[in-house]
Amino acid sequence: MSFRSLLGLAAACLLALAPTARAAPRDTVTVALQLEPPNLDPTSGAAVATDEVVYGTVFEGLVRLDAQGAIKPLLATWWEISPDGLTYTFHLRGGVRFQDGTPFDAGIVKFSLERAIAPASTNVQKQALSVIRQVEVVDPRTVRLQLASPDSDLLYTLTWGDSVMVSPRSAGSLATAPVGTGPFRFTGWRRGDTVSLARNDGYWGQPAKLRTVRFKFIADPAAAFAAIKTHEVDAFLDYPAPESLAQLRADPALEVVTASSEGEVILAINQRTGPLADVRVRRALQHALDRRAIIDGAMYGYGTPIGSHFPPQNAAYVDLTGLYPHDIAKAKALLAQAGYPNGLDLTLKLPPPNYARRSGEIVAAQLAQAGVRVKIENLEWAQWLDQVYGRHAFDLTIVSHAEPMDYAIYDKADYYFGYHSEAFHGLMQALKGATDEGQRTAILGQIQRRIAEDAVNGFLFQFPRLGVFDARLKDFWVNSPTQIIDLHAASFEGPRGTETIIDAKSGSAGAILGGVLALAVVGGLALLAARFGAVWLGGRAVVMALTLLTASVVVFAIIQVVPGDPAAYMLGLNASPEAIANLRHQMGLEGPTAQRYLAWLLGMLHGDLGVSYTYQTPVAALVGERIGVSLPLALLAMALSIVVGAPIGALAAARRGKAADTVVMGLTQVGVAIPNFWFAVLLVMVFSISLRWVSAGGFPGWEAGLGPALGALALPALALAAPQAAIIARVTRSALIDTLAEDYMRTARAKGLTARRALWRHGLPNALIPLLTILGLQFPFLLAGGVIIENVFFLPGLGRLVLQAVTQRDLIVVQGVVMLLVFAVVATNFLVDVAYVLVDPRLRKRRG
Amino acid sequence: MSRSRLPPTLIAGAAISAGFVVAALLSLVWTPYDVTAFDIGHRLQGPSAAHWLGLDHFGRDVASMILLGARNALSVSLVAVLLGAGIGVPLGLLAAARRGWTDELLMRGSDVVFAFPALILAILITAVLGPGAINAVIAIGVFNVPVFARLTRGSALSLWTRDYVLAARAAGKGAARISLEHITPGLASTLIVQATLQFSLGVIAEAGLSYVGLGAQPPAASWGKMLADAQTLAAFSPLQAVFPGLAIVITVLGLNLLGDGLRDRLDPHLTEDG
Repeated sequence: MSFRSLLGLAAACLLALAPTARAAPRDTVTVALQLEPPNLDPTSGAAVATDEVVYGTVFEGLVRLDAQGAIKPLLATWWEISPDGLTYTFHLRGGVRFQDGTPFDAGIVKFSLERAIAPASTNVQKQALSVIRQVEVVDPRTVRLQLASPDSDLLYTLTWGDSVMVSPRSAGSLATAPVGTGPFRFTGWRRGDTVSLARNDGYWGQPAKLRTVRFKFIADPAAAFAAIKTHEVDAFLDYPAPESLAQLRADPALEVVTASSEGEVILAINQRTGPLADVRVRRALQHALDRRAIIDGAMYGYGTPIGSHFPPQNAAYVDLTGLYPHDIAKAKALLAQAGYPNGLDLTLKLPPPNYARRSGEIVAAQLAQAGVRVKIENLEWAQWLDQVYGRHAFDLTIVSHAEPMDYAIYDKADYYFGYHSEAFHGLMQALKGATDEGQRTAILGQIQRRIAEDAVNGFLFQFPRLGVFDARLKDFWVNSPTQIIDLHAASFEGPRGTETIIDAKSGSAGAILGGVLALAVVGGLALLAARFGAVWLGGRAVVMALTLLTASVVVFAIIQVVPGDPAAYMLGLNASPEAIANLRHQMGLEGPTAQRYLAWLLGMLHGDLGVSYTYQTPVAALVGERIGVSLPLALLAMALSIVVGAPIGALAAARRGKAADTVVMGLTQVGVAIPNFWFAVLLVMVFSISLRWVSAGGFPGWEAGLGPALGALALPALALAAPQAAIIARVTRSALIDTLAEDYMRTARAKGLTARRALWRHGLPNALIPLLTILGLQFPFLLAGGVIIENVFFLPGLGRLVLQAVTQRDLIVVQGVVMLLVFAVVATNFLVDVAYVLVDPRLRKRRG
Repeated sequence: MSRSRLPPTLIAGAAISAGFVVAALLSLVWTPYDVTAFDIGHRLQGPSAAHWLGLDHFGRDVASMILLGARNALSVSLVAVLLGAGIGVPLGLLAAARRGWTDELLMRGSDVVFAFPALILAILITAVLGPGAINAVIAIGVFNVPVFARLTRGSALSLWTRDYVLAARAAGKGAARISLEHITPGLASTLIVQATLQFSLGVIAEAGLSYVGLGAQPPAASWGKMLADAQTLAAFSPLQAVFPGLAIVITVLGLNLLGDGLRDRLDPHLTEDG
């Protein structure tokens, strides 16, 4: 076989992997969100993403909010409130059934609400709902709530995702298998990638127009651009990349919607002690800020400047943006007055979102002009919650406060920025006693002014809500006052498509693969025992076991010192310490270290890696799903690198010292030097965005068929394989050159074999040893080394699982995956050792 | 082998590497423009006479950023190599001198380190210590330790059988003194070659860590961070992603050429998997 024919073969393989264009499905919508929900139970945990995915689609409550923010009937058709405000009587809709067949009636309402306020409840709105003293079933269609005290907010509380109706039959498993009364039912969850819903044909109301809804989770701005641009997703509700909105606006197939959100982005100032406790220093910071430059620089012009902690779209808004004009001289003068003529040093701790990181860089540069030297520290959310929010160990931070009308945080002295003012407290008291709207508006104005004059925080801009939609998508609820994504009436314009959608069945591919692997391992071991003797095998096994044991201690030890509490991360900003302690206990985080280590180790011995904190499913199942992506990717990349690299190396060796050798080896030097993530970005730019040959990322699942699945892995495999192919070419070349110099090669030539035949017959087999060593080193690297590549292509593989688990402090997943990867290395080393012996007859004799 | 003429690849490698070092040192005292001054209004301008490589998304001069990035790449990888050699070489010498259990412990210990997925361990290390250049050095340096330890051990073991070492032993010198006076000088060329190659691996690793946000923190410039910033702009401002990528490729290429060239020259018997 010649080098040329091999190259041809490689090219043919690549072409076969490029999938054909597929018709856009018209009754399936793929909605992208930045964050994946940790679980699908809206009645526990604070994750907004959970509500976004299942509230209004799968779950419904008694009442709902419409697009204007007014309360409308849903599962309750009408209601009466007693004059003293203590009794609410709800009249329920008839003929409603849960997706599991349970009929909805007054008993369900009693069950759902009592469950939310029970002592063991982890419902985030437990406190607000606890105003309900008693739930009374009057008749199957009527339920009466007795309140402990009047609460004009009760109906609003009931519109939240935390107050949805749940069926007693399925309430225990909502986290992984949500069941409600809504227009869609849950069909599958490919963790790290997609949640799938299908139309609920037994829905009590008008059935949904869409047959299938898929939520896809893409946080990476570059991946988001590629996904929406290539129509991989039909709608992006919180598009993370304002820098590319202009491009998307110019595309007639897409529609860009921008609106104001309730979120104020602030430069929060820790004013407990030190220079920042001095209002003059805080005012100096305000004068140093240039909001317009921040909005242009960080948000590409999207966002409205604010002068206080209040949304501009609100009727009571007062424009205070002129209070501290951008004036460096004034800022310096104020600092000098406060006793800092030479400026001062501050830390700025930034959470992960781009708005914060980019604003942070600009703010640091602006403050530097006024002599304030800012040291930036980029934190993950878990670290931010721990250091900034929890322990107040910061000077400055930038964060968006997304809750509507949340000025009350300025009345909490123990809140993270530590503002305390009697005057402000008085205003808050006056607000509570305000009787008419005019008085209320006036006090709200004073509140805004007080915060601004005290220069509590730097008020940067109102966060924009950036939505990008397929232009054919109609009746999609965009500007909602709650965390609901209303897909009930949404549809596509034009004729219906015929594409069949296969629901994700998690884990099946992984399970089959696991079974095959286990069989192969057992068979292989039996063969080896027969061939090399049980003693050799036993010795190797002991060394392997010791390596794994040491590694497990190291992993466990590192995990113990990772700062950040997984329970605090899961429950969010408003959780009580008591709830966090409850959850820590549930997660098995309490107890002596040694005991927990032993429990984990023993579990691993029978394949039990524990239960994921965030996903609440067994880690082994999660890992199984991800291996179904990472293992084929690694194998594909390895095959590609051998098919390309080895013949190139052989060619160079055969033409040693000639022009072909020099050129090819020069190219491999460049290949080795290319960082694979950069190559991946270039590949996406060329093949996905410009040529549109392959999808820009994501993984359709093996259920979708071999073609699309391999198509999704083609570019990532190529990116991973390129530097490896260069290494293989170099190793092959030098190994062949070494063997060519051996005596037996001269003998073969003397015997009359041509140079090429001698090389293929005698040279190549002997050159396999160094090649095997390299492959053995590469395989585990490819399995885990995809971390960054998996991020570029948003593939739900092992690397991304572990990266995500680290940021979410899902440490039990981190432990499990790292151990699995360590095992892969140890097992590969063993296989390479065995292969040495099989390949090299000299080694065989020594061992035998 | 002729010692009079240097191979062109070695010259090219040395020239590129020298350029890299000069760029890094130069950035300490001078860059074409001040990168702390943002100029949002002129962001993403293409290359021009005034700005050879154009302006980035904050309106900073890309050429200046690349010079500063060289400083970051150089310091992180250099310290990581020094850290790896500083711990690894003495360990390797110890194992070769003591043999037996010490040796076995070292080899198995390095097996364990090698068994860890490097990037994931680096991510965990930065999760514990927080992101930043110094912690990137530690995360990269940890993996340099077993590389130097094994290389030192292997070469030192063969040196211990040399006649002059045996003579020194017969003269009553202790193992520590022999390691220092007779073994270490014999290792120098091998170690220099390996250090160059680890140095180039360090440049790639640093870029990877910075790319995922765990390396140098702004306002310090880093090539990996520049690539990450450029990625979302790639569709309409592709040059943003090209220049920092090229800077990495050229630097790594230069260091590899230098390392390979030195290997051929200093120690023709060394193989690829040293």
